[in-house]
Amino acid sequence: MATYGLLIDYEYCTNCGSCQVSCKEEHGYPVGKTGIAVHADGPWYIDDDNINFNYFPLPTDLCDLCKDRTERGREPICVHHCLANILYYGTVEELSKKLEEKPKQMLIVPQYMPRVAKGEFVHQENATDLHKAAAMDVKGTGASTFGAHRADAKVGEYEEDAV
Amino acid sequence: MTTTPKIDNGIENFRNDLGKPWRYEEDGYTVTRACAWSAPGCHPVGCGVKLYVNKDGILEKVEGDENQPITQGRLCMRCLTLTDFTYHPDRVIYPMKRAKEDRGKDKWERITWDEAYDIIEENIQGLKEKYGPESIVVFGGTGREGGPMCGPYGAAMIGTPNACYTQSGYACYIPRVAAGTYVAGVTYPEMDYAGGLPGRYDDPMYKIPEVLVTWGKEPLPSNGDGFFGHAVIDVMKRGSKLISIDPRSNWLSTRAVYHLQLRPGTDTALGMAMLNIIISEDLYDHDFVERYCYGFEQLAERVKEMTPEKAAEICDLDVDDIYGATRMYACADNAAILWGLATDQKANGTQSGHTIVALEAITGNLDIPGGQLLGDVSDSLGDLGFGWKELGPELQNKIIGLYEYPAYVGLVLNSHADLTLEAMETGEPYEIHGGFIASTNLLAGTCAAQPKRWHDAMVKLDFVFAADCWITPTIQCCADVILPLATYAERQSMVGTHYGASPNMLGAVVDAVKVGETKGDLEIQYELGCRLNPGTYARFKDFEDFRSEFRLGNLGMTYEELREKVVVQRNVSYKKYETGKLRPDGKPGFNTPTGRVELYSTMYQQFGEDPLPYYEEPQRSPISTPELMEEYPFVLTTGARTYAYFHSEGKQIPLLREVNPDPLLEINPKDAEKLDIIDGEWVKVANEFGECQLKAKVTPIVKEGVVHAQHGFWFPEEDGEEPHLFGVWRCNINELIPHKFVGKLGFGAPFKCVICKVEKLNK
Repeated sequence: MATYGLLIDYEYCTNCGSCQVSCKEEHGYPVGKTGIAVHADGPWYIDDDNINFNYFPLPTDLCDLCKDRTERGREPICVHHCLANILYYGTVEELSKKLEEKPKQMLIVPQYMPRVAKGEFVHQENATDLHKAAAMDVKGTGASTFGAHRADAKVGEYEEDAV
Repeated sequence: MTTTPKIDNGIENFRNDLGKPWRYEEDGYTVTRACAWSAPGCHPVGCGVKLYVNKDGILEKVEGDENQPITQGRLCMRCLTLTDFTYHPDRVIYPMKRAKEDRGKDKWERITWDEAYDIIEENIQGLKEKYGPESIVVFGGTGREGGPMCGPYGAAMIGTPNACYTQSGYACYIPRVAAGTYVAGVTYPEMDYAGGLPGRYDDPMYKIPEVLVTWGKEPLPSNGDGFFGHAVIDVMKRGSKLISIDPRSNWLSTRAVYHLQLRPGTDTALGMAMLNIIISEDLYDHDFVERYCYGFEQLAERVKEMTPEKAAEICDLDVDDIYGATRMYACADNAAILWGLATDQKANGTQSGHTIVALEAITGNLDIPGGQLLGDVSDSLGDLGFGWKELGPELQNKIIGLYEYPAYVGLVLNSHADLTLEAMETGEPYEIHGGFIASTNLLAGTCAAQPKRWHDAMVKLDFVFAADCWITPTIQCCADVILPLATYAERQSMVGTHYGASPNMLGAVVDAVKVGETKGDLEIQYELGCRLNPGTYARFKDFEDFRSEFRLGNLGMTYEELREKVVVQRNVSYKKYETGKLRPDGKPGFNTPTGRVELYSTMYQQFGEDPLPYYEEPQRSPISTPELMEEYPFVLTTGARTYAYFHSEGKQIPLLREVNPDPLLEINPKDAEKLDIIDGEWVKVANEFGECQLKAKVTPIVKEGVVHAQHGFWFPEEDGEEPHLFGVWRCNINELIPHKFVGKLGFGAPFKCVICKVEKLNK
């Protein structure tokens, strides 16, 4: 069973914000909540001529790696809309290989609602709806090399050919 | 004309919608593929969208269409929030009227289209009879279909010569178009990003630009004039090196080999110095200059006076950087300049444009792969001139500014902005009594200098109607009737890169949903035109017939055929000056009086302008007005774009407002320290012309002594009635921009180069 994540080529992140806004539209997250946000480091001067100025799109604890989309064989919505084409979704294994291709990249495996997923602070009345384990892997769709993966996805619900 | 988009996203196993038809069913949705163009406003990039409409006929979501060969599924936040825009409770979706005595009050009343048309017809025809058709002005903006349609709305629909883009000196796009047209006979030399080639960047005809110059432009958020901004990222990834010419550091400039951080408004001095270096170091394309340029010797002589050392002093630059950047640009096999709005936003802008076109020409970069792509003679701004002939010479000659600024008025068939305001204020050369606000929010710090003067002039008009999606401050203060404007998901039209003036793509705008009783600009023009000026529309059988001629004239296909294809790429060819495609007579060369690129412009000469570029200081600057600098120590530049908004539009969309909640003033940390201003503090910005309040953003991206202010803010959540008008005056940076500080030909105004002071708001 594979673990899935996002590879972020932050060399070319322009802070367009399409990841954040498309995520919020996809999940219905209101102002103040998001599954991914762009953070800035800089601009500050390294020396007289050079400026450090990088943007980093980082998944939050509300990132479910778009399991409703990936279980249908679609890429996460942020990956789809990123104007600079710098977000990649896949297994950690294949993304790791890409990580070696160039500098200024990072590989992130988010976890949706981690405290809930770990079984802590779960209200008893809701406990049956949730998976306590932090499992990132569920069955693949069979339609592609990746599959749905989220902690509270109902394992086994998706058929191999349910695309 | 085939499209084979390639999704370059590394991992290939995603399902996608490549090859899907223009409309299909999926998971309970009817999905319509289309190209986006206005409303929401944007320049005509024609980004691919998939519109998901549910069984109840509601647009539920929008996704980027991976079939669109340029955008390839990517989409920016302004279209990602289309559903919020479409169904926003404040949106105007029915025609509305308000009694004239209730102007400025929130007393709108829903009416039918017929009643709206009746009221407009009665009032406009009445004014035409009483004061003449020229007493009515169409106020035009930018970015919506109603922007370029400003001319036809005036000449064809109403029958007045006075269509007016209200920004002082038409300080947006048209000064560049003027430089392109008068110097080289082409509308707008744009960076070639393979938009019209089936294989895009990998097409055998294409070559990645070795060097890319962004000059007074932020292409990433602005998509200026229909250029897909992130094409810059695409070519950077494929090896293009950058030069940035900009008073602010932005993301691109920090990636540039050279960032020439010049003093705002001094671009022409830099352009002349670059020409000087290229000519004196013999870095120019001899063959092109000999065969296709006119006046090279005179240009060489003129730019001699602008040594790089002198320019370095004027522009506040390191002279070695000027040499280095110029050599890098001139020695590249192919290079492109992305010239931005900053070119237009100074009185000396025509000359800036002239130097940029001259640079592109003498380095041999015009119309080569990965250089500056030129539109051929059949590509044109489809709207330009529609209905003009039918006006007849008497009315044509009444267009405001024809005698003062013929190079401006004649080029775009628009009345001169500054003189139109003066006519409204003084009644000279004649009185203005009626107005049509066509997709512009000119009072909200967008396309008007001294917006309070415009306000005071507009509220005096006898009758005003408007077409828009929102009750803007501009509409609230003076309109009597509002016509509800459709978004691109609600109407049928088409979109072409650069308004059709660049051979990249044409796309279909498709109606996927019906919202209230909205209509598009095309329908409004036709239906109201048939009532107000029936003669001009008599030759059309019906609306479809009109739309075919007006929008699809050159295309050779029907709207239905275009919709079926969604997007067509246009046949691209290069070096059209060799093949005769740039001239109506089919002869090789350029479409100028001499048939060459006129480095020495006979057209400028004819208009009484210097035929060669020259540098002039901004009217307010440390050099031209040293005596004012003690009181106003900062050079003020304004209006850099952000991803969140299209100028004044989008302020009521929560997910956009979240990204850019307040209007910012960027100020250097050292200046902020001197003034005891902390990051996030509200400050007063003022000069001799006006003042406003902005939120300080303390940042090193501006040099000491330079501040940058955001534009276009109003506050839809605040009281909309007069005198508050959604808080439109509080943060209005255009109050600091003077009236009629324009260039000799009437073009250009100092929206990006005035002076100001900055003070703590609560001392």
